[in-house]
Amino acid sequence: MTVDFIFDLLNQFLPGFSGNGFLLLFAMLIPCLILFGFIAVYALVVIYAELKVSSFIQDKVGPMGQGFGFHAGKWGLLQPVADALKLLTKEDIIPGSANRVLFIMAPFMIFIGAFVSFVAIPFGESIIVADLNIGIFYILGVGSLAVIALILAGWSSNNKWSLYGAMRSAAQIVSYEIPAGISLITVIIITGSLNMQEIIAYQQGGIFNWILFDNPFIPVAFVIYFISALAETNRTPFDLPESESELVAGFVTEYSGMRYAFFFLSEYANMFVVSAVAATGFLGGWQSPISGYLDSPGWSVFWMMSKIAFLIFIMIWIRWTVPRLRVDQLMNVCWKVFLPIGLINIFGVAIWTVLLGS
Amino acid sequence: MNEDQDKLIAELVEKGLAGDMEPINEIEDRVLRSKAKAALVKAKRSAKPQETEDHVKQVSDKSSIDDKSLSENLNENIGEMVNEKFPGSLVNENTETHIQLTPDHWFEIAGWLKSEPSLSFDSLQCQTGIDIGENTLEARYNLHSMKHNHCTEIRISVSINKPVIPSVEQIWRIADWFERETYDMLGIEFSDHRDLRRILLPDDWEGWPLRKDYQVQETYHGIEVPKMKEGWE
Amino acid sequence: MGVVHGQEMVLNIGPQHPATHGVLRLQVKTDGEVVSEITPYLGYLHRCFEKHCENVTYEQVIPYTDRCDYLASMTNNFGYVVAVEALMDIKVNDRVEHIRVIMAELQRIASHLLGLGAFGLDVGAFTPFLHMLRDRERILDLFEMTCGARLLYNYMWVGGLSHDLPVGFVESTYNFLDYFEPKIDEFVNLLVHNKIFVERTADIGRMPQEVAVSYGVTGPNLRASGVKWDLRKNDPYSIYKSFEFDVPVGEGGKGSVGDCWDRFYVRVLEMKESIKILRQALASLPKEGDIHQSIPKKIRPPKGTIYKRTESPRGDLGYYIESDGTNIPYRLKMRSPAFTALSVIDEIAAGWLLSDVLAILGSLDIVLGEIDR
Repeated sequence: MTVDFIFDLLNQFLPGFSGNGFLLLFAMLIPCLILFGFIAVYALVVIYAELKVSSFIQDKVGPMGQGFGFHAGKWGLLQPVADALKLLTKEDIIPGSANRVLFIMAPFMIFIGAFVSFVAIPFGESIIVADLNIGIFYILGVGSLAVIALILAGWSSNNKWSLYGAMRSAAQIVSYEIPAGISLITVIIITGSLNMQEIIAYQQGGIFNWILFDNPFIPVAFVIYFISALAETNRTPFDLPESESELVAGFVTEYSGMRYAFFFLSEYANMFVVSAVAATGFLGGWQSPISGYLDSPGWSVFWMMSKIAFLIFIMIWIRWTVPRLRVDQLMNVCWKVFLPIGLINIFGVAIWTVLLGS
Repeated sequence: MNEDQDKLIAELVEKGLAGDMEPINEIEDRVLRSKAKAALVKAKRSAKPQETEDHVKQVSDKSSIDDKSLSENLNENIGEMVNEKFPGSLVNENTETHIQLTPDHWFEIAGWLKSEPSLSFDSLQCQTGIDIGENTLEARYNLHSMKHNHCTEIRISVSINKPVIPSVEQIWRIADWFERETYDMLGIEFSDHRDLRRILLPDDWEGWPLRKDYQVQETYHGIEVPKMKEGWE
Repeated sequence: MGVVHGQEMVLNIGPQHPATHGVLRLQVKTDGEVVSEITPYLGYLHRCFEKHCENVTYEQVIPYTDRCDYLASMTNNFGYVVAVEALMDIKVNDRVEHIRVIMAELQRIASHLLGLGAFGLDVGAFTPFLHMLRDRERILDLFEMTCGARLLYNYMWVGGLSHDLPVGFVESTYNFLDYFEPKIDEFVNLLVHNKIFVERTADIGRMPQEVAVSYGVTGPNLRASGVKWDLRKNDPYSIYKSFEFDVPVGEGGKGSVGDCWDRFYVRVLEMKESIKILRQALASLPKEGDIHQSIPKKIRPPKGTIYKRTESPRGDLGYYIESDGTNIPYRLKMRSPAFTALSVIDEIAAGWLLSDVLAILGSLDIVLGEIDR
């Protein structure tokens, strides 16, 4: 959609190249660059938010500074920038016994998984890079790429801690994809579509039309999805793959500098994606909570972003409050609690939809 | 003479039971004193056999003077008992502060000390080695009983040329590490220890640092070992 | 259903590892996540404390004791001076005794705070650690006010103290206690009854009484196993006899007696008992009394031997001193509670998962400075 739109636009302004394959490539690249820039800026903002929220929870002040000099800026606003600069300028170390090719590949692969998910996220009625008819399925699918990247990172480092982290993360992410998918199936049953825009369109008309309040089974599905999403993004209490007090740093133990930053970035990007899916599936997407109020395209971006921001805030809040689970408990929660409840939920929603649905 | 003594002891025990320990402690003759104390302990035990639980609780409330006198008495008791059960292992008849043993039957004696119900030394508080000069090393064991709340000290000396003492790590598990430390620092070998390695120093360190004749090695893996400063006062 | 055994992997936890509380190497044999054998390797912080002591005078030993258990320097000083005073038969006046008890109990709270916080960190709870440090900071402020140092105090001297209490110390301490008492409940709500935390610690690493006694485990670790043993009660030194306080023991509140949760909770309760002692000691603190009154001109203990135990935050801290009548100890041995506590790790932690092993290690609350000496 957007690509077509840009392609047409380019054709108009550059008639000399009209119909050229190069232009199509260019038309694809532009939204990618915009998205990349967006992710980078978003990551800086979330890092700052994480610092400040954690400081508030931990009863400390967090990054502070005065003016705009080289000391973290006003209220420490430049702290994430400084962090990013530090990571960029750090020495890039590849361990001698590591598998070079895979070691270099892993951070890019994990980032690709997070990055390509962004194209199917709608920010407004026409503000979406690619309005796929299997949008939600696509996001779940490419999200799984992270597992391969984590295993690559852990194995290629040739470090026992990394291997432990990789093993744990493989088990964890693969397991938790099932409850996450199952809880999203309830949404699909209700809307009858995998398309992100159609799911949002179904929820038109204010906060009480959101799928979250559609029937009594959905809040359960939402909670299961949100917790599974935490596990998929390796956030506390599910940060076993990189649990710093047990596995040093898990699968990122041997990474430094920019490669480490890519893991970092993809974690935050993944947080954004899962929050966006939750917002789309359960919280009305870019729809305004009050029907007909502040629902111009500009406001739609605002609503989507604020819903995502709220969910990310809850993730940060959880992270700095609870301890970490143990690996067997993690699996127990997934297979013995979430899966049965999720399956019962599907039945409940299906029966509810058949009996009471329109 | 004997009758007089018995009378005197009976008097003292009565006083002691009333809580007045002064007359007993003032006795010059050590034998008489210990006899009086032993009688006092017996009297106390027989006086309140049902109150054993209470007695254990009261242990903490007893005055420290009483504690001290009891433990002195205890040491002598243990000395006598050891002499009876393991003749020849007691080196010194004087067992007022500690019990000096030969290394030969130490393992058996240690097992007995732990299992004997009236002693039940279930906890090895501290085990240390010391170079007492004249080519003699000494291992010292501070034992303690959680049940009876009493302590004693065992000393075993060996020649520096053949410093071998039976290990007691199978009796008190903590002796495992304590003996390894003593071995590490003084080179006392504990026979039948299941894992006798250096514990604090590297495995390839030379010499036994806490011996008085210890000479620091010049270099360790090519690194110069810093010398200890002299003349500090 | 059979158990599948893979190849065993040897894993070195440490010497540089975030969860070893210092520089400790645990060589563990793992089968997947299950740990089958743990061998601790010590000595990375060894600095010949006992050899040093044979070369310096009695008063010069005190700064070295600071550096053994650097999280509880006051109680380390306390144990040493009590031992030397017993050897020399010195009686200190009441004010000195009171100040010593106040300092020791404040130190106990500070040490437990850090121990509990670090344990939280080991199971992945980061926030409680910072809350603990925030409160510990206020205790360090009190110490700084008294003797100028925040970590290594060299405060207690043989026969006295280095400084008298400064003006306003008593009020500040009362203020701190009023501030800190409700904070304990806040902490209990935040971490101790947290579902995930309980899951992680209850029934994990159970230490039976016989094992604890046989391994010479003392202090809160022993009490968590259900043994009511506290030297402040059972072999009272200084003036502990005159204070009213309880000895909390593990009761298996969330699991079985002697598990990680008990070891954790006993320390929380001990902080409350320390507050009780502090309030009594502050109330009965004599106004008069020269803190330098009993300091001997020359410290030359008579020939003899002493083994004196005191209750440090980690357990029975014993000093074995052999004196040959000169001003230099002939032999000084420190029996450190963390040393004995660490020796039990293989016994109670083998067979658990890797994460549990680190939780158990954290629950023992060891300080490597004291183990390696």
